[in-house]
Amino acid sequence: MLQIRNLHASIAGKEILHGLNLSINAGEVHAIMGPNGAGKSTLSAVLTGNPAYTVTEGEVIFNGKNLLDMPPEQRAKEGIFLSFQYPVEIPGVSMVNFMRTAVNETRAYRGQKELSASEFLKLMREKRELVEMDSRLTQRSVNEGFSGGEKKRNEIFQMAMLEPLLSILDETDSGLDIDALRIVAEGVNRLKTPQNACIVITHYQRLLDYIIPDFVHILADGQIVKTGDKTLALELEEKGYEWLQHKKD
Amino acid sequence: METIILAPNSERHIVLWNPDSTDICIRQEENSHLTLHIVIKEQAKSANNICIELVGEEAQTDIYGLVMASGNDDISIRTIVNHNVGKCKSRQLFKYVLNDNATAAFDGLVVVRPDAQQTDAFQTNRNLILSDKARIRTQPQLEIYADDVHCSHGASTGQLDENALFYMQQRGISLNAARGLLVDAFCHEILDTLPPQYRETANEIAN
Repeated sequence: MLQIRNLHASIAGKEILHGLNLSINAGEVHAIMGPNGAGKSTLSAVLTGNPAYTVTEGEVIFNGKNLLDMPPEQRAKEGIFLSFQYPVEIPGVSMVNFMRTAVNETRAYRGQKELSASEFLKLMREKRELVEMDSRLTQRSVNEGFSGGEKKRNEIFQMAMLEPLLSILDETDSGLDIDALRIVAEGVNRLKTPQNACIVITHYQRLLDYIIPDFVHILADGQIVKTGDKTLALELEEKGYEWLQHKKD
Repeated sequence: METIILAPNSERHIVLWNPDSTDICIRQEENSHLTLHIVIKEQAKSANNICIELVGEEAQTDIYGLVMASGNDDISIRTIVNHNVGKCKSRQLFKYVLNDNATAAFDGLVVVRPDAQQTDAFQTNRNLILSDKARIRTQPQLEIYADDVHCSHGASTGQLDENALFYMQQRGISLNAARGLLVDAFCHEILDTLPPQYRETANEIAN
């Protein structure tokens, strides 16, 4: 599904990713862990086409297409979804208007016909129930005045609405209490199919108790320095990121 | 100049829909209530003067202005709100959306005369600039000669929120549609306050 080869990327002239390699197949869950500043969020920003970042070398192929040639909205329509670490508040833009535009533009791109108003509202209701989201939230402006937990749940709700092939969860656990974490993780697990894949970016092992990864990668200094199964996350939790530093030396 | 007088305890809603010029003075007597909308779009040149004389106590005035300008449009609005007597209330909200080479001006003067104690006056001008070449000149002014008053004014000018645009694009919304949603959101604060018979037209211009 996704092949990242020798990816170098920078922000404001400073290189953050120094030759990152990663392959992801349908049906897999990959966790990416690493200390602050390792490049975890840069990776999600580059995959989604955030204009603040520049790719200086390397390639990213998504289902046979060159992802780096596409504007952000086309990447999304091809099936890449980012659950933002800091979801943006958009006062005055209603959740309904926002989601209907997103869903119908994506459907048009995939050659499906637009949903009618009633079909759309039915879809909203179904997906809202899937992620246990309060109907009051979908009647408001996008993320406006939402608590931290509500914002993260709204990300998973949008993911359910758009049915992406590759979901990137960027520090979805940050700022969540244990109940909110469980609900968000259950939502993610319910959306998992053999056709889609997930990248879970996290600083802590905790989230991986709920979303079980097939692979765990450790990102340090802009490269993947170690790959293992879920036990690697536990080992890392026990020994700390210091341990990696020593291994490198 | 056209002069309109609001009799004591009367209520009036005036909508100035897309004028190419305005020169109007409204005298408000005791406990009268004025709501005034001025909406300008697709006017190459439009110069507007609006003067409110609050001459009776407890009068209230609410003014909403929306300007959408593009191409080489040149739009100006000047308001003068005169608090001649005490206990009156004035509210002004003006929003401008400027694209291409458009030029626009907002001059808003609020005067609180020496006898106009317990005046409550509020004025805001917010502007959205969508291109590198569009220009806005904004001049909110307060002249206060009384001491027991509650007055505030402010102006801000900005561009579309880049983070919001990227967030929407990441959900598959094209850049144009995302910009449209944000401009629409900016305008609706004004458009939502219009009388029902104007609402449909309002949605069309916002889109």
